[in-house]
Amino acid sequence: MGRPRRRTWTAAVAATMVAAAAAGCSSDSKSSGGDGGQTTLRVIVNITPNLTEQYWTGLFAGYEKTHPNVKIKLELTGTVSAQAKLTQDLAAGDPPDIAQQITPTRDTASLYADLSDQAWAKDTPLVDQYAIDGKRYLVGVGVQIQSLVFYNKAAFAKAGVDAAGIKTLDQFGEAMGKLKAAGYTPLQTAGQWVPGGQFSLLADSGVLTNDPDWYAKRAKKSVTFAGSDYVKYLDRYKSWVDQGYLEKSALGLTYADGQTAFLNGKSAMYVMGSFFVPAADTAKKSDDIGVFTMPTDGAYPSGQVGNIANPYVVASASKHKAAATDFVKWLVTDPGAIESQLAADGNLRKGFTYKMSSLGTAVQQLLDASPSVLVKAGDRQPISGYSGELNKQIQSLYSSASAKQVADGLDKWWNSQN
Amino acid sequence: MELAELTRPADRPAAGDPADRDRDRDRGRTRRRARLRARAVSFGMVGPAVLLYTVMTIVPVGVAVYLSLTDWNGFSSAAFVGLKNYRHLFDDPNSTSAWWVTAIIAVVGSVLMIGGGLAYAIVLKEKSRTNSFFRALAYYPHVISALILGYLWAAILGTNGAINNTLAHFGFGPVGFLFDENLALISLIGVIVWAGFGFNVVLFVAALQTVPAELTEAASIDGASRWQTNRRVVIPMIAPVVTVATVLNLVGLVRAYDLVVSLTGGGPAGATQTYAYVILARSFESTKVGYATAQAVFLMVISAVLALLVTAVRNRQDTDVAG
Repeated sequence: MGRPRRRTWTAAVAATMVAAAAAGCSSDSKSSGGDGGQTTLRVIVNITPNLTEQYWTGLFAGYEKTHPNVKIKLELTGTVSAQAKLTQDLAAGDPPDIAQQITPTRDTASLYADLSDQAWAKDTPLVDQYAIDGKRYLVGVGVQIQSLVFYNKAAFAKAGVDAAGIKTLDQFGEAMGKLKAAGYTPLQTAGQWVPGGQFSLLADSGVLTNDPDWYAKRAKKSVTFAGSDYVKYLDRYKSWVDQGYLEKSALGLTYADGQTAFLNGKSAMYVMGSFFVPAADTAKKSDDIGVFTMPTDGAYPSGQVGNIANPYVVASASKHKAAATDFVKWLVTDPGAIESQLAADGNLRKGFTYKMSSLGTAVQQLLDASPSVLVKAGDRQPISGYSGELNKQIQSLYSSASAKQVADGLDKWWNSQN
Repeated sequence: MELAELTRPADRPAAGDPADRDRDRDRGRTRRRARLRARAVSFGMVGPAVLLYTVMTIVPVGVAVYLSLTDWNGFSSAAFVGLKNYRHLFDDPNSTSAWWVTAIIAVVGSVLMIGGGLAYAIVLKEKSRTNSFFRALAYYPHVISALILGYLWAAILGTNGAINNTLAHFGFGPVGFLFDENLALISLIGVIVWAGFGFNVVLFVAALQTVPAELTEAASIDGASRWQTNRRVVIPMIAPVVTVATVLNLVGLVRAYDLVVSLTGGGPAGATQTYAYVILARSFESTKVGYATAQAVFLMVISAVLALLVTAVRNRQDTDVAG
């Protein structure tokens, strides 16, 4: 064979190999399919200080033990949230079988399996509040309440503040003044998502107790931030920053660092949801910490802003929908799984108890005394991206931005998102 | 004697002989076959690269451009919306503020990375063990994941970080490396420069070692100072490498994302939100994939324009020098 012909063959073989490699690259190497009779279910979860990778692995092992043909594969989301990871996987055409902490919307409902025909689903907490057009796509383990102010009992005693006497924002501000004078950082915050999250817990308790449909109205543009009571809360927040009740340096802390600072007694109060309780329990500080319902300028106690705890959806594109649905059923109906998840994240569910600390019991009592649980779901849900924008705007209150500028900024952003 | 007769081989037959025509035809066929083979070889060699480039680059870019003209949310069917996403680029408050941040990072970061890298390389251009150690030291951050570097620096610069803890021991309050809007941007640029300038050092050291010693010696004999030699002789000699480094730095910094995520998370108050961060952490996470893709296409165009601009400026300078 002459040299030119040999080169031609070599080139042809090389081209074939490269083409085959390229084709190989494009094939789906991931599979949640059965292998040797075993079904692998891929699950996306949010990893938090309470719900660690170790926790999830241990929880899922309980199911695998009683279902030897099912393997649960935990998919970590890296630096992004479960929602972002799910979006990526869906866009890539490679969705997981189950996702935790995802709230379907009318636009995204078709991505998830309709669990309305599952008899067990109707008895799960808040299932109908999260239904879309009467269809149940989301089922959860319990209820998480968020209109809570945790406080350092020693700091209150030293400053001469009575927690039971804090029902209005004026009283709240007055207490912070006394706590600052006693040498404490009055209100603990942190960087990341925390400032926006805390403001939301504070303001929503007042605004949504007065008008639970406020976000639905904002979506229809019949109300604005600048023309609503949110401005009053923004004004309060700004004045607390200016008076040093909230420290700007806390923006350089992570969520976990901020929580640790409060647990270590450096600050006097911490606005957070019921999921803070397990962290206090783990730090063995529960008995040193008290809790009261968020003060407002309206009725007291206000409704508790709450949400479904540990919600799960089954992807409608799952190749193992039946197995995935069965696993979700176990997660939200099995007493052992429920109690484990409630305890791990400080959540609550009627008819279920677990060994609670004094702090957990106090939170349960506040829920019992609450006139309502205000759920921001369905039409009452803010548009996507709102929490990120709110957080950015609230952080600007620590610099030169005024309450009005922030309210205008929120309106401008919301109006630009059509 | 005619020249043609002199150059014609003695045994070459006269034209018009049938046997010669057959031979010529055979030669022609052989040549054609050889050309075909050569073309096949060329296609065989170039084809795989073209195929890969098409599959890996041209098709994805084409798909991205198509998606940018839709309202796709990442999963539902996409509806064509024309240029709506592109118009939204200019009225989205996050996009406009992120462009300022990105421009500052790209310009200041590039200047510092090029200037610092060049100065460092000039100091360390001679071959010695010490210089090799310092070159490796400069390059070292480049081999570590930017995410890890970000978390590492957050542990150093954060409110509870190493520096502020040390200051607290001496009774000083925390410095707002990560919580003050202006300082956070400076900190981010500082870490980006620290992490990336080692790459420039390696490029520049390699380029500096190709500068003929005779040129610098001649400049020295002519009385040029070290600064003048570097300014007038050495740097012009390595100008093409500086151009490449500038393009790489600018394009890389326009796409800054990973260090932003791990060091500042775009905060405080969006002061360090770059355009790439807005695309990935805001638009994409909000399931606005069509809009996020329009932002990405716009970013790609800006990067290409920047690269072409720098190259054009450089070429013009080269032409001026040559002229």
